[in-house]
Amino acid sequence: MTFRNSLKTAVKGLRANKSRSALTILGIVIGITSIILIMSLGKGAEDLILNQVRGLGAATIIIEPGREAQGPSDFGSLFTDSLKDREVEALSKPSNVPGVEGLTPMVVLSTTVSFENEVDSFMILGAAPLLAEIVDVYPEFGQFFSDEQVQQLSAVAVIGSEVKEKLFGPSEALGQNIKIKNKVFKVIGISPKKGQVGMLDVDNSIIVPYTTALKYLSGMNYYHQILVKAKSEQIVPQTVEDIEATLRELHDITDPSKDDFQVATQEDIAQRVSMVTSILTIFLAAIAAISLVVGGIGIMNIMLVSVTERTREIGLRKALGATTRNILTQFLLESVILTLLGGVIGIILGVFDSFIASLILTKALGSTWQFTVAVQAILLGLGVSAFVGVVFGLYPAQQASKKSPIEALRYE
Amino acid sequence: MSLIIEVENLKKTYSEGETETRALCGVSFNVEAGEFVAVMGPSGSGKSTLLHILGFLDRQTKGSYLFDGKELSEYTDNEVAKVRNEKMGFIFQSFNLLARTTVLENVKLPLLYSSTPQSKWNSMAKKAIEQVGLSHRINHLTSQLSGGEKQRVAIARALINEPKIIFADEPTGNLDSKSGSGVMEIIEKLNNQGHSIILITHETYTAQYAQRIITLKDGEIESDKKVEQRRVGRKSFIK
Repeated sequence: MTFRNSLKTAVKGLRANKSRSALTILGIVIGITSIILIMSLGKGAEDLILNQVRGLGAATIIIEPGREAQGPSDFGSLFTDSLKDREVEALSKPSNVPGVEGLTPMVVLSTTVSFENEVDSFMILGAAPLLAEIVDVYPEFGQFFSDEQVQQLSAVAVIGSEVKEKLFGPSEALGQNIKIKNKVFKVIGISPKKGQVGMLDVDNSIIVPYTTALKYLSGMNYYHQILVKAKSEQIVPQTVEDIEATLRELHDITDPSKDDFQVATQEDIAQRVSMVTSILTIFLAAIAAISLVVGGIGIMNIMLVSVTERTREIGLRKALGATTRNILTQFLLESVILTLLGGVIGIILGVFDSFIASLILTKALGSTWQFTVAVQAILLGLGVSAFVGVVFGLYPAQQASKKSPIEALRYE
Repeated sequence: MSLIIEVENLKKTYSEGETETRALCGVSFNVEAGEFVAVMGPSGSGKSTLLHILGFLDRQTKGSYLFDGKELSEYTDNEVAKVRNEKMGFIFQSFNLLARTTVLENVKLPLLYSSTPQSKWNSMAKKAIEQVGLSHRINHLTSQLSGGEKQRVAIARALINEPKIIFADEPTGNLDSKSGSGVMEIIEKLNNQGHSIILITHETYTAQYAQRIITLKDGEIESDKKVEQRRVGRKSFIK
């Protein structure tokens, strides 16, 4: 018996019970659809996050205080004050870290801001003028503060476009005085609409000199972050080493595992994000795969019913010369065709759903959500559905092929 | 003439748990190629069991059965399937046609499992359908046919591979007497064309189409006689 004829016979067998066949593959369709959807959304989310993370530029290095957490309840790692003026000074010296083009300490806090009767809560970023370059927020109106203003602890602020909208509405903001935590600041610049840059929501932030922020707003003597801009992308790894060496010497640390600071490059962060989204995607896809198992059991169930129903047909085919193998092939093909059909429909639905989701997400997030369909996801979908067909079709097909022709012919 | 079937002391025992049922207890006979033999006997006499073994659908418990000169127990399962396909034809009491399938497709079914090139299938099937006088029904679904017509489709299916022997298990059992004799006349014609026929029946009337009648009782041969006055179809049955 040729494979083509086996295939034809199997298709005829399935056609005889169209609605049952359609209902049977529903489980597979749902399973494959969700796997495709999850994988494609996972990829889209990863791309989006990576784009934002990389927004600071590849030459930017982030130094944060504290050691890496030893476990989920290791809160001690979060509260440290290892980055102070002393560290900023040491890192600024070209003799210590030759690759540094510039750096800015960062003071980050969230507090209430008011203008006349308008009160709202915003993110306050204390920084040096270099931040304007790193984040690319040279004001659209007005100007950024200067190094002198930083040294003089000037109470000046560059506000984000959303901040301007919320506090001032359509009226003029430049030159006005706003109150941040009861300290009066003069608005000297309004930054352009940027969206999310790195981990910073610039539009909803107010940028002030870090010296002013430290003294009047945070009330502490340490920084939350130091952003370093390397002279070029190529020397980033060397610069990271120099920074680590400098800080260790300063803090008398010989064992790198006892570091009280962390240095991360944009690439590090990107890799970490990729890993997290990949794990999440695999985890969700695995949950979706459970429905494939359920669908497979459904197919096995229906195939067993079908084998019993068609006992006479099996007996007849055997009497007319069908071998055990012919019968096995026929019924195995029936279940594989069912699952493959379910797989193809699932892939089509999954791709379609992902496309719709990308449109909705683009609207909802206000930033472009890339519609991506991984070829691996499609191949995986086809492979998995065929595999399910073989695994769950084998037992019924064996039952069919083992029937003795006389028992089968006698069956009413 | 050569022998197509040589049966020597054939025994078949079914055991279900503790109890043993002896369906055949030592049956011996030969069938020559081209012979038309009827096997008669009341129900429970073992005639169906005999047919199943002769038709390679079952295997004997003891004794020897040579088909075409080779012992059944020496055939592998795949060879058994091949012999059923190429050298044997089956006609059943309940027709056993595939539902929702045309006459042509039903008749072609044995070819599916043969090595016959697919290009010849349609002409072979048409020829077989013509032999049973159903050319005008070739594309009908089997469910649209009468009982007699259904059995004729089954006969066309049985003869498509030009088998050496045709086994007919109560072929007229589900038919009225008129279509029954029509079916028997076709079987007789096939015998005249050289096919050996083994016919299982409990009707003396039907058995008399054969050249020889073997009567079974309680799993043993009661009598094995030539038919003195064969019933020979006189009417032309192909319309």
